[in-house]
Amino acid sequence: MQSTLNALVAKASTELPALKTRPEFEAAKARFVGPNGELTALMKQMGAVPKEERPAMGKLINETKAQIQVLLDAALRTLETAEIAAQLGPAVDPTLPSPDAGPGTYHPLTLVREEMCRILHKVGFSVADGPEVETEFYCFDALNTPADHPARDAQDTFYFPESARFGNVSKKNPEEKYLLRTHTSSVQIRTMLKGSPPLRIVSPGRVYRRDTSDASHSANFHQLECLYVDKNVTVRDLKALLDYIFESLLGAGTKTRFRPHYFGYTEPSFEVDLSAKHLPKVNKEWIEIGGCGMVDPSVFETVGYDPKVWTGYAFGMGLERLAMILYGIDDIRYFYQNDLRFLKQFA
Amino acid sequence: MKISLNWLKDYVALDASNDEICRAITFLGFEVEHVIATGAPKLENVVVGEVLTRNKHPNADKLSVCTVDIGPAGGVKTIVCGAQNYKVGDHVPVALPGAVLPGNFVIKQSKIRGESSDGMMCSAKELGVAEDAAGLLILEDRPAIGTPINAVLPPGDTVFDIEITPNRPDCLSHFGVARELAAWFKKDLVYPQTEFQGCLDEAAGAPRSDLLSAVRVDAPEDCPLYTAHIIAGVKVGPSPAWLQERLRAVGLRPINNIVDIGNYVMLETGQPMHAFDARRLGGSQIIVRRAADGEKITTLDGKERVLNSRMLVIADATRPVVIAGIMGGENSGVTAETTDLVLEVAYFKRLSVRWTSKRLALSSDSSYRYERGVDVHAAVESAHRAIDLILKTAGGRVVGPIYTVGGDVPWQREIVVTPAYIRERLGFSIPDADMKASLEALELNLTREEDVPGQGLTWTVSVPSWRDDLDRPIDLVEEVLRLYGTEKIPAAVVSAPGLVGEDDPTVRFNRRAMGYLVGQNFHECVNYTLRPAKELATWVSQTAAAELALANPFVEDQSHLRPTLTMGLLETLKLNQSRGVVVSQLCETGRIFIECNGQNFECTAVAFIVAEPVGARTWLRREAGDFSMVKHHAEALAQAAGVDLARQPLVPIVGTYYGWQEGHSVSGGELQHGWIARFGLLNLAMIKALGIEGKVYGGILAILPEKLAAVSSRRRYADFSLFPAALRDLALVVDLATPSAEVRKALAGLARAAVGNAFVVESVDVFDVYQGKGLPEGKKSFAFSLVFRANDRTLTDEEVNKVFTQIQDEVGKTTPYQIRK
Repeated sequence: MQSTLNALVAKASTELPALKTRPEFEAAKARFVGPNGELTALMKQMGAVPKEERPAMGKLINETKAQIQVLLDAALRTLETAEIAAQLGPAVDPTLPSPDAGPGTYHPLTLVREEMCRILHKVGFSVADGPEVETEFYCFDALNTPADHPARDAQDTFYFPESARFGNVSKKNPEEKYLLRTHTSSVQIRTMLKGSPPLRIVSPGRVYRRDTSDASHSANFHQLECLYVDKNVTVRDLKALLDYIFESLLGAGTKTRFRPHYFGYTEPSFEVDLSAKHLPKVNKEWIEIGGCGMVDPSVFETVGYDPKVWTGYAFGMGLERLAMILYGIDDIRYFYQNDLRFLKQFA
Repeated sequence: MKISLNWLKDYVALDASNDEICRAITFLGFEVEHVIATGAPKLENVVVGEVLTRNKHPNADKLSVCTVDIGPAGGVKTIVCGAQNYKVGDHVPVALPGAVLPGNFVIKQSKIRGESSDGMMCSAKELGVAEDAAGLLILEDRPAIGTPINAVLPPGDTVFDIEITPNRPDCLSHFGVARELAAWFKKDLVYPQTEFQGCLDEAAGAPRSDLLSAVRVDAPEDCPLYTAHIIAGVKVGPSPAWLQERLRAVGLRPINNIVDIGNYVMLETGQPMHAFDARRLGGSQIIVRRAADGEKITTLDGKERVLNSRMLVIADATRPVVIAGIMGGENSGVTAETTDLVLEVAYFKRLSVRWTSKRLALSSDSSYRYERGVDVHAAVESAHRAIDLILKTAGGRVVGPIYTVGGDVPWQREIVVTPAYIRERLGFSIPDADMKASLEALELNLTREEDVPGQGLTWTVSVPSWRDDLDRPIDLVEEVLRLYGTEKIPAAVVSAPGLVGEDDPTVRFNRRAMGYLVGQNFHECVNYTLRPAKELATWVSQTAAAELALANPFVEDQSHLRPTLTMGLLETLKLNQSRGVVVSQLCETGRIFIECNGQNFECTAVAFIVAEPVGARTWLRREAGDFSMVKHHAEALAQAAGVDLARQPLVPIVGTYYGWQEGHSVSGGELQHGWIARFGLLNLAMIKALGIEGKVYGGILAILPEKLAAVSSRRRYADFSLFPAALRDLALVVDLATPSAEVRKALAGLARAAVGNAFVVESVDVFDVYQGKGLPEGKKSFAFSLVFRANDRTLTDEEVNKVFTQIQDEVGKTTPYQIRK
């Protein structure tokens, strides 16, 4: 019996380490320790063993069983290691480039717009939106730009034929003509008419000018305007906002300055210059960045806000121009060509 | 407008540097576009000399050796000269050693090809008084030998080319700009002195003339004031040098003394004027009337203009002689032979001049000023100023009668303002005295100053007639601030009392859509809104091409609103392909315009394309896009807009609608419901015709902004079972053309009916599609996975089998589909 057991262990220690697959392993396991296995068969012979030898024999069988179990466990470990190695395959070359295109990129105009919106959101402005097809009232009349004003010339503004109808752009007067908005200020009017003071909005969006396209002009471009309406708003508040915006955008030490100017819908009105020393590709001390002013009382009257109670300011700028200044881009047409080599530079 | 510094100094004693003046103009609110230096700079050691002898240089063919007399102090100098245009006896400028000519050119004693030269005879260019010059500047007036050259040359001037904002027509004149600068630099303003005061001393025998027998204004609504003065016996000739110089400095060509004075006074005061040859006025009459339709006039620029009945003209008895306020005719102007003048100084309404000027595409210095507004109350004074100058430079005398028609509206305007109000609007403090000084420097005089109970110190400010732009207290805030200096507005902390609105739904949607697409490796593009007509007709429809047209496009290929974003993305794809840049996934958000039942709708849209990455070479090939991929993107974008695209009916696109490929693309939604989606493969032939290589898949979602703004109700939580599901698979054989959604819907209906209330059908989904071997021709099979579950127990095989058998029976009885065994 003992020699049989020893032979069994010897057999197991040669066969089990050589196993290559799980079915082989399962078959071998059954062969040795399964219900019909050899060890089980030997254990069944215990009945024939004289009673006084049984404890010693039992002990021997248990030892044999433990030895085979150790061999089985080792074989399983080897097998599992081999399986994982097969699953893994050879090591990768981590220096190979990824064949997947990407990552995706936001357009630089979106990046600049969103950055401006974030800066303004921190001081309580929310983003307003309005139609690009507008009417004369919202684009001009309500903004104190009367019918005889040169800005309304068909020479500078895209108009639609009188027969054109836009189902979701509301007119103030039935005889108004539809046009493509020349500034996002029309959003201010729609927002003021819809809401009530105090309010604080930023309206970024696409605008249109009937103009020759060149390195600095484009048939459509984007503006961003702020409108602040509250009680006791002052010129100094407006200057503080501009300083805040550009310090946030370009870092501490960035300065703005106002120059008096004229816009129909603000009084007083200013052009805003930005200190430009640290900007790329600018060889001037100051560069013009936008226009602003205190909302003209006549605009408040048009939207039904009492100008004796409500005051406010407005500020507007071109997003392409801002992006060109920030990134050092020297041709506005690059924004609209979408050459991937351009788009990938700003993510 | 070009403003001459020398000219300004007639009215204000400016002693500031050019830089300081530029700064002043800038902070007064006018942009300085250019600063131009004209005339001679200050030149030391350059004097008038006379050429005594001229001999050929022994060693150079083109040079001469001259002796030049430079007067008693300098004596006779030997100078080598290369110019050819002079002769012995000419007086020329001579630069002596030590002189520094423009360009930092230092003159030294030198030897030229072996001959010594004591200096240089100069051309106008070398002296900096002209752009170019052929040879020496010959001083035709023969000034005295030895005279310093600056005493001979016109003095230098600085011209500021400045942009005058449309609210300040008073500054379209030297005097207007001088007034501003006088206020800025706190200097006195000197008005030009006018001797002629409009009085004809008829008692003393001032002659009356029959040169002009009548002036009539038939259209006073467009011409509130018309004045005509007759000046007899003038001598037309060149203007005096000072006048010519002034005009040249600001870019005008001198013509003759009469025309030049008209221009001069206009540039001085801002008042346009016109001079007629009195003898060329038919019937000795002036009639201010509207033109007849089709009436013609040949203007001074030699062009014939056809007029209409809305245009205002100055006519004589028979024909128009001037287009009012814009340009005179050839038939009545001043010529060299003119001896008797009629000087017109009038006021025409802005709108009338502007309308005519636009209609005729004809503008002039005169129309420019009338369109922006001329001070009617200063017209007569300007006329007197011009008459003064005419009498002084062209002789003659004013003969009666003086005609003045209209213009008797007195000017009076006052603004009541408190200094406290000004400070409140500014947000910082300027002392009362400073504000007052600023206003008065601009001739905004305080007519009353009083303490009004409840308001405090109150000022009544009179507004002069040339400042029509000022009529409210806020306007005076700007005047005070301009003179205080906008650079000095003190810094402050931005004021942000809690007030946070929600961003517009369209903005939020765009952010979400772009965030998704960029996360899926798309590159965001920005394309133009305006597209060519032909493209709309080809890719969309003739109707769209008709409805989305602009009335006045600027260029032909940007004449229509875009009805889709796809075209722009394809253009981008093509540009990149043609530049050899590998590109696959592009996207864009923006407005598109959809024609629907005779109306256009402005929609917010998001679109994307997935193209084969033509030219890409990679060590590991990836699958390019396919229909399922773009469907997935379309569903994700629709979800961002609150639309569950998977539950919406999709209609296969037929034909080449919007450039999609029939059989490989679908559309969903309707504008009436606020949204439209289209996705799939773009039309292969059309893509190819554009010059694009490879297949392009894509999708677009268009939404009405009002749909995004609609409030969506909050989602409610639905309970779900914690017991295991029971799965059964069923394959159905159907006609090839049958869409899966139709079969799924039928099967799900039968399943729900079979289950009843006993438990629930959790899902019925296609997991396999097969056609080919083992199936009849023209058939395919869909394999569905059916998931059953109960909320309160584990389902038994028996109950599920019973239901499943019933479903199979019903499929056999009620549908055209066969169960695949």
